[in-house]
Amino acid sequence: MTMDLLTLIVLLPLAGFVLNGLLGNRLGKGFVSVVGCGLPVLAFCATVQAFLQLQASQGAALAETAYTWATVGDFRFEIAFYFDRLSALMTLIVTGVGSLIHIYSTGYMKEDASYARYFAYLNLFLFFMLLLVLGRSLLVCFVGWEGVGLASYLLIGFWFEDPAKAAAGKKAFITNRVGDAGFLLGMFLLYHALGTLDFDAVNEAFNGPVAPAVSASLVGVLLFIGATGKSAQIPLHVWLPDAMAGPTPVSALIHAATMVTAGVYLVARLNGLYLHAPEASQLIAVVGLATAFFAATIAVVQTDIKKVLAYSTVSQLGFMFLALGVGAYGVAVFHVYTHAFFKACLFLGAGSVIHAMSGEQDIRRMGGLAKRIPITFVTFAVATAAIAGIPPLAGFFSKDEILWFALASERGGSPLLWAVASFTALMTAFYMFRLLWLTFLTPSRMDHETEHHVHESPFSMTGVLIVLAILSAIGGFFHVYHFLEPVMPMPAESEALEHLKLPLIFFAVATGLAGLALAVFVYRGGLGRAEQLQRRFAGLHRVLSGKYYVDELYEAVLGRPLHWISERVFLGLGDRALIDGSLHGLTGLAQRAAGRLSRVETGNLQFYVLLAVLGVVASLAWMWGHG
Amino acid sequence: MDRTQLLLTLSIALFCLGLVGVMIRRNALVMLMCMELMLNGVILSLVTFAERTATLSGAVLVFLVFVVAAAEIAIAIPIVLLLSRQRHTLDVGAYSELKG
Amino acid sequence: MSLETLLLYFFAAAALAGGVLMLIARHPMRVALALISSMLSLAGIYALLGVHVIAVFQVLIYVGAVMVFMVYVIMLLDVRDPSFLERYGRAMVPLVAIAAVLAVALSAAVSRGKMITAAELAPRHADRAAATFEVQPFSVEFIERYWLHFELTSVLLLAAVVAAIAVIKAGRRHDG
Repeated sequence: MTMDLLTLIVLLPLAGFVLNGLLGNRLGKGFVSVVGCGLPVLAFCATVQAFLQLQASQGAALAETAYTWATVGDFRFEIAFYFDRLSALMTLIVTGVGSLIHIYSTGYMKEDASYARYFAYLNLFLFFMLLLVLGRSLLVCFVGWEGVGLASYLLIGFWFEDPAKAAAGKKAFITNRVGDAGFLLGMFLLYHALGTLDFDAVNEAFNGPVAPAVSASLVGVLLFIGATGKSAQIPLHVWLPDAMAGPTPVSALIHAATMVTAGVYLVARLNGLYLHAPEASQLIAVVGLATAFFAATIAVVQTDIKKVLAYSTVSQLGFMFLALGVGAYGVAVFHVYTHAFFKACLFLGAGSVIHAMSGEQDIRRMGGLAKRIPITFVTFAVATAAIAGIPPLAGFFSKDEILWFALASERGGSPLLWAVASFTALMTAFYMFRLLWLTFLTPSRMDHETEHHVHESPFSMTGVLIVLAILSAIGGFFHVYHFLEPVMPMPAESEALEHLKLPLIFFAVATGLAGLALAVFVYRGGLGRAEQLQRRFAGLHRVLSGKYYVDELYEAVLGRPLHWISERVFLGLGDRALIDGSLHGLTGLAQRAAGRLSRVETGNLQFYVLLAVLGVVASLAWMWGHG
Repeated sequence: MDRTQLLLTLSIALFCLGLVGVMIRRNALVMLMCMELMLNGVILSLVTFAERTATLSGAVLVFLVFVVAAAEIAIAIPIVLLLSRQRHTLDVGAYSELKG
Repeated sequence: MSLETLLLYFFAAAALAGGVLMLIARHPMRVALALISSMLSLAGIYALLGVHVIAVFQVLIYVGAVMVFMVYVIMLLDVRDPSFLERYGRAMVPLVAIAAVLAVALSAAVSRGKMITAAELAPRHADRAAATFEVQPFSVEFIERYWLHFELTSVLLLAAVVAAIAVIKAGRRHDG
């Protein structure tokens, strides 16, 4: 059974999708819950077993070919799975955190009518995500890539009767597709140059003695464009905040823990390529940092609990790309790992708050929930501290490493990167504690009806929150980047700056605490001081609330011209004039010809006799002429 | 000219006269009668050949043609009558519903 | 020129004249009478040829049944029918022209063919034809070899009768 272990891991959620999709509605919520949660848990157990095998073999990768997709001449395209340390880590996160979120969903989505459909889609997502992280070649990865995009669309627009929610799903899918164009181009170039799309082969080719006949930077940039789409970096970040229209567990799973990290995974996996692509790496670092900074500034003024977390995710992803850009691939993956825990905990906690508040999501109307829903409060607080970088929680370790390498990495680290990143970390701490205070610790601004109904969530939800909070607390002690070093070498650190390492750690902690202090100062008594500040910086506040008007820019520059072209050129000219016109022309021609020809039918009997006689004469003449 | 040629030419002449009559006369019954004339022309040529080759089968065939002609006229006239009762005229120009 | 040839020419001319009269006459009754005279001339021709059986049948069936029927029907007609005034259809000239072309074509075809001259034919003429086309040999031949056709024609006549009745009945129902 060992050889088929990876295929089993991938196929278990697919079985869940099929079973729940086809039979779920008929067999009731109990069946759906058992199948929908049980199969991911089984996949997690299988992953653990594969992991143990990996450890036993000193990290030698497991590879399995499941199916030969196509054979075109000399080229074989196979669906193959590859399990090395990186995939092991990613798969553990996906199945582990995924299973927890599935269990949470049984509580959160209990009242929903489309329960079976929800779990079917969630299992489908898990299947595609596993294809993505376990795929041996870029091709299988791309199948998973597209598949998670599809699952994301289905789940964001889960309550599709609301047109705004359906539009959000559409926006996510289309923005992803824009990025996918870059991905595809990168794949084509790689295949053309190397003749293979297997990750290990690509890395070897670039690390080998002979440089391949394609510019590593070009391929790197193209693949990064794909990553920007999937991981919501500037300029393709616009879909992630809108994606909050989906159910909260979906936001936790897809838009915090797993799918959005696919871009990070891709770049990290192809580290052999990016090591030889300095321009691309620089671009990645700059884009990542810019995204982190701008998303943090927007998060400061957001008033919807989920939107704050969404922008926070975008910002944290920016940090991960910053780490990738300076060559610290292992550190980026470390941050993926810790981020999965605390962000999932935060989103699920937000879900618990929304559940308690009977659907209210505006933090201006919350407050004072700490005593009413204590478990949610404590777990949320732990996760907030983790993301702010308070030691010894998980976020501290990973963020600190990122900041260190942003400064000291020989592959593009610089003080400027470090300074902006540190300021962003300060903002992160600030807005996260702002969220915590406004939601739980300030005096209550709830309206009485909602306040009356506030209640702690069921154990299926709080239990998961507790597990994730514990992981956020202790997860940082497992230094992932050391674990991954055989696969992803760490960049060289600048010798000159070695002495700054310890002070930097203290500075980072200080930043986190400063953010906490600032948040407490502004929001202690509620919204009063915040509103004063808002009035003083009205212009800035407006720009930030408008999210820098990026959506409006896209609408004006891209949306409306495309719409105009579709309407005028394609519909008016192409469709109506050309296609309909030619069809009408043809039918008109047929009709006119028929009209003319129908003059033969005079209805006059004798005319017909004339025609008959004419025919006879003609045939006689012909016979006569041809003897 | 010898007899056979004469008779054959007569037969052709009768046939064409009948054809002309069908084409140019406007009364339905007159058209029918012209058709009979055509038929007679054909029968004449049949008889001519039958007599020349002295085959009885030719005569039998002619007899059968007579029978068919009788049956034909027995049906055609009632049809014409009914048609004329619809349009209250025997003018063939009035029956042009298939026009166009 | 023997009597036979003379008579032949006479009857031929009569048949032709009858045909032409058919085209010209205004009243359908006159057309019918022209046709009858044509048919009688043809009967004469058949008799001259020696095919008396056919001649008799021509008079009996064609003139005696078909044309009488026709005459009855014509007598039912209204004199004020517009077809009496407008004898000819609209496309008369081209039609006549076409028919003339046809006639020329056919007769040219006939005259091109190899014809046995009258001299060759003359010895065979009178006796054999007369002997062959007597009523008795005719009947024997008919019943012996062509009995199937005989039966079929009787079926045909039955069908014609049924059809005629059906047509009239339909007409009657239509008129209500």
